[in-house]
Amino acid sequence: MKKVITGDHSVAYGAKLARAEVVAAYPITPQTLIVEHIAEFVSDGEMDAKFMPMESEHSVMSATIAAQAAGARTFTATASQGLAFMHEMLYVAAPLRLPIVMVNVNRTIAYPVGIWCEYNDSMAERDSGWLQVYIENNQEALDMVIQGYMIAEDRRVLLPVMPCMDGFVLSHTVEPVELPAQEDVDVFLPGYEPVYSLDPDNPAVAGSFMPPEYIMEMRRQTMDAVEASKKVIPEVGKKFASRFGRDYGGLVEEIGTEGADVVLMTMGTVTSTAREVIAEFRGRVGLVKLRFYRPFPSDEIRDLGSRFRAIGVFDRSLSYTGGGPVFEEVKAALYGYSDIPVINHLAGLGGRDVTAQEIRKMCELTLRAADGERVSRVNWHATRGVPV
Amino acid sequence: MYEVRFHGRGGQGAVMAAQALAEAAVIEDKYAIAFPFFGAERRGAPVLAFTRIHDQKIYSRTQVYTPDCVVVLDDTLLDTVDITHGIKENGIAVINSTKKPEEIELGRKIRTAAVEATSIALELLKAPITNTAILGAFSRATGIVGIDSVEKAIMSRFGEKLGEVAGRKNAGAARMAYDRTETGMSSGGKEHAIRKQWLPEYRELPVGGVLGARTTDAGLIGPGSFIENKTGEWATFRPVRDRNRCTMCLACWFDCPEGCIIRIDNGKDLRTDYGYCKGCGICANECPVDAITMMRL
Repeated sequence: MKKVITGDHSVAYGAKLARAEVVAAYPITPQTLIVEHIAEFVSDGEMDAKFMPMESEHSVMSATIAAQAAGARTFTATASQGLAFMHEMLYVAAPLRLPIVMVNVNRTIAYPVGIWCEYNDSMAERDSGWLQVYIENNQEALDMVIQGYMIAEDRRVLLPVMPCMDGFVLSHTVEPVELPAQEDVDVFLPGYEPVYSLDPDNPAVAGSFMPPEYIMEMRRQTMDAVEASKKVIPEVGKKFASRFGRDYGGLVEEIGTEGADVVLMTMGTVTSTAREVIAEFRGRVGLVKLRFYRPFPSDEIRDLGSRFRAIGVFDRSLSYTGGGPVFEEVKAALYGYSDIPVINHLAGLGGRDVTAQEIRKMCELTLRAADGERVSRVNWHATRGVPV
Repeated sequence: MYEVRFHGRGGQGAVMAAQALAEAAVIEDKYAIAFPFFGAERRGAPVLAFTRIHDQKIYSRTQVYTPDCVVVLDDTLLDTVDITHGIKENGIAVINSTKKPEEIELGRKIRTAAVEATSIALELLKAPITNTAILGAFSRATGIVGIDSVEKAIMSRFGEKLGEVAGRKNAGAARMAYDRTETGMSSGGKEHAIRKQWLPEYRELPVGGVLGARTTDAGLIGPGSFIENKTGEWATFRPVRDRNRCTMCLACWFDCPEGCIIRIDNGKDLRTDYGYCKGCGICANECPVDAITMMRL
């Protein structure tokens, strides 16, 4: 069934179709519509879930962890300061190997106070052990909630998954979304079967104190799970594509890269605009959509380093290393493998619109770097007082 | 470089002892550092503390693995911890014990100093806190720091915290221990049953580190671990109830922080589970008819 809905509404349908059983929630713009729609589904009897309005995001994540550890499939959503307030609980969920799915609607973290899209909220949680996928459109939002459970609950992975989507550009934008039939989703995604669950008749301790003799090994266990997800993500993507006909690729998607001189790497909705812009470069510039930021696709990036003459990297947040976090990690992945120029393009911070003209400029600068011209390594696009 | 490892239990003051020893060394124009390593942060759990003493600035920040001296504040630890582990060839053990050095079984023959620090502490401080007395024994047995410096360090560290009178009493405990310390060789004796540690490779750790009821080995604590860990083993005192005086008001049952006082015979009588009693004395203190006496073990 086709519906013209917002990204938030689409995500709510995703949670409903995935048959989430417990939804603890706290509102924050631009995520609020997600949990409001879920509350409606539950109160209308369309969704069989326990909906729990909490007193804070910290409590939301605590309750979600507890419910998941008790054996329920859980869902929640947050944004910005809400995600930051969950910070310490995020670090509990991943090593406990709880396959929670939580959508983060990207919104700038104060200060300055803003409600629009910047990635500095989710990027700050990159070391928490959560898998992160950045979403390009409302259909992918719905599809990645469903795929998210499939990835998270895979016995080789067992990690929480955080689909991240651009505040307002997706959350409050309506576009056509194909809602899969419940029967099809049920076949694709069977009920949750926990590896362990807290049960008074069979007591266990989850989340205990551990002396240093164990924590290196615990970290390594979580690291292995993140690595294993690199294999599981494309498998789940293929399975989904064969049932629903939509293939998003694996950790990255390549668009028009064949025969290109250089590639521009983007995330989220900027990818969509860039799909149109690269056409102007008549095959010289290819596009790489960085879908998963965790696990980080180091192998795919090394492959790009061997095939192209330069990589332009779009960042929608700043690491105060001079450039953005994606730029830093792309360079780190290429270290020892490739010495092609890697050029950082900072744009859209605080939700500033990333225009076609800026994306055009990103492509041009990346091409000039490939041609041996001295180009600034980090470029602040459309920033008053900073020449590009 | 002279390295000391302190073995104590949470609440006995091993960390303060290590710090005061460092201060005593600094008083003698040496360089010293002292630092703790806590296991579970609770009273009664085994605690390690370390002191390093040197003529020059110390850079090493690792724990002490080959001590010149081990100091044991509580000889119940000898049953569960190999206190001689890694000790140097000519190293010495300083042990709070009612036994003579020759009677102390350390599983090997090493130079050993023994002192009844608990009795000294009870006599002078009215509490079984042995960390200051044991430093007097250390000074006597090793000569690494003089007893005058130990007294000064105790006055400085304990006096500042507890007041001058308490500082002087603690310094007196060190002096008394200094005078009463006996040095000899330990008995090889039997091998101690050392609590085994479960150190699995990372792939063998349960998913998420979630522990079922049976994974109750040392270090990682699953549900029901108290069944094996008798946390009352280090008590110095034990409450003894006089049935004739007891009115069964249940104040002790209510106030016991460890739940060691158990109602039996359909609530007509009480039993104390000494397996978990720490000897804290709250029951004796709260008893309105003074039916409970704390007896020295």
